[in-house]
Amino acid sequence: MEQVISVAIFVIMFAIIISEKIERHYVSLGAGFLMLVVVLGICMHSPSAIWDTINLKEFATKAFWIAKEEGAGNSAGINWATIVFIFGMMVMVEGMGRAGFFRWLCLRMAKAVKYQTLPIFLTFMVTSFLLAMFIDSITVILFLAAVTVELAEVLSFSPVPMILAEIFCANLGGSATMCGDPPNIIIGTSLGYTFGEFLENTGLIAGISLVFVIAYFYFCFRKELTKKQSDTVRSYPEPASAIHSKKEFAISCVIFGCAVVLLVTHSMTGLTVATIGTFIAALTLLTSFKAAPILLKKVDYKTLLFFVGLFIVVGGLEQTGVLNVIAGFISNVCGDNAYVMVAVILWVSAIASAFVDNIPFAATMIPVIQSLAASTGMDLSVLSWTLACGTDVGGSATPIGASANVVGVSIAAQNGHMIGWGRYCKVMAPITVITMAISMLCIYFRYLSI
Amino acid sequence: MEGQVIIAIGREFGSGGHEIAELIATRLEIFLIDDKLLYDLASEKKIPYEQIKKYDEKPKMPFLSRTVSGYTNALEEHLAKMQFEYLRKMAEHGESFVIVGRCAEHVLKDYPCMTSAFISGDKETKCARVMEKYHLSADEAKKLMKKKDATRKAYHNYYCEGKWGDSRNYDLCINSSKIGVEGAADVILSFATRKQVR
Repeated sequence: MEQVISVAIFVIMFAIIISEKIERHYVSLGAGFLMLVVVLGICMHSPSAIWDTINLKEFATKAFWIAKEEGAGNSAGINWATIVFIFGMMVMVEGMGRAGFFRWLCLRMAKAVKYQTLPIFLTFMVTSFLLAMFIDSITVILFLAAVTVELAEVLSFSPVPMILAEIFCANLGGSATMCGDPPNIIIGTSLGYTFGEFLENTGLIAGISLVFVIAYFYFCFRKELTKKQSDTVRSYPEPASAIHSKKEFAISCVIFGCAVVLLVTHSMTGLTVATIGTFIAALTLLTSFKAAPILLKKVDYKTLLFFVGLFIVVGGLEQTGVLNVIAGFISNVCGDNAYVMVAVILWVSAIASAFVDNIPFAATMIPVIQSLAASTGMDLSVLSWTLACGTDVGGSATPIGASANVVGVSIAAQNGHMIGWGRYCKVMAPITVITMAISMLCIYFRYLSI
Repeated sequence: MEGQVIIAIGREFGSGGHEIAELIATRLEIFLIDDKLLYDLASEKKIPYEQIKKYDEKPKMPFLSRTVSGYTNALEEHLAKMQFEYLRKMAEHGESFVIVGRCAEHVLKDYPCMTSAFISGDKETKCARVMEKYHLSADEAKKLMKKKDATRKAYHNYYCEGKWGDSRNYDLCINSSKIGVEGAADVILSFATRKQVR
């Protein structure tokens, strides 16, 4: 009975989120409340399950702040480490945006290649990939796309090819590290992986894919972007114009540098992502003085609340054993064939992420792959990298698959460049399929020794 | 009529709302903003007219669009917002015009010089007009009317607080089948004149 109700709550939550009739944080919190009261409370009579799902005790554990033993992650209930880390990064990114860091970086890159269209195109793709490894893809695209439109106006080229390439590279870059995309943060904190482990595994796959991605976009758009520019003298936007206060800019660069160093070295220092997030947020707020309340006000609390509700719903599904049933089903379909299992997880994740939010999907799949690994003896890390690649990159295929896509298309439209479903998918769906195929082959060769 | 005059006309498909708007614009010698709005936007934003025409007065597709931190991929919504902005600018600049659809009665509600009217009609009269105008059979005309009205309703109700065709949202609600296109234009003009005098 509780399984049926929990599945119904999950499905209705998903449907309402997709319909956008009600803001998604209200939906996930409402569904989370129902899961706690109806499923865990009334049906299961289990106060301990409610307490485990809320998971507040996690804050009091040493392991929450100092790195746990390898592989000792915890996927039950609300993943507070993810929420604290994302909060910290949001505060830092707000501070960096306020200081003009992102706009300065984009303009600096354009100036470095002497405002030539094709080199800007290639440079912005790589910049998008590298920035998205550490910063959320929404912020990356927000600034890159805005500067692209501005440069397109000055240099008289269509910004659409560049924006599409930037979107894809942001999603690909996000798959390369533990902090690049929310599904990776959830996978990393739930299953106890480090930044370095992500970089060595999904990072390598993303790096190989990037070569093909750059080649693909180059051959798709080289004619469009190599049209001779007119010889009229133009006034190019200067990178320095992005910086309002040199002091704020310098501080934001130092904080960003600190965040990167702390993340890269966290397996050595023993600091968890929750600690890093808290430290980075505190540092940003302390150095912002009077601007601290503004930064705090700008944090996207709706997304954080959405995560809280979502984790409760997934926790409920886990407590009722629904996810074990799904894992059993996948196991039956795949038999003992690891190749089929990887293919199923990769392609199902990619296709699902192309149409629905990849965060709930990834959060739901983590207990499923844990159960699969336990029942089939398959290496959990292989399934984790497979899930990360599928959910992070699969979303690139459609305009609604990932947040970066929506933001990129929206910025283009605001400036009169309409990118409909047809135009978007014609370019992005083939490269998504190619990248998924490359990822699958990488996983086969490296982990399953084909 | 002297001073700024804005006439906002909502309409059911086949009710003759467009003809009424044209007649009023001709009589007052002011702009009729309908396709002109799209042409102006296309020229301002350097977008081909055909590229934006397909998103005009359409509701966003529920399962094909997503909103993230206030950004949306729904091109229908982007075009609608551009149109609303265009109308506000025109009104701010003191222009007189007649506007058909585009939630104008809601977008321009703060302008006292605006008179809003919703034009409806009897099913048979509307059907006859659609059959003649688009060379359709009765069944085809009825289907088209149903489809167009559903689209206009969904579009309007997404952006406006009040419901499409609800008498509380308009100064006038006129059944054009009862008094014809000329009659409806007379009523609206007479109302707008009295409103301006007050």
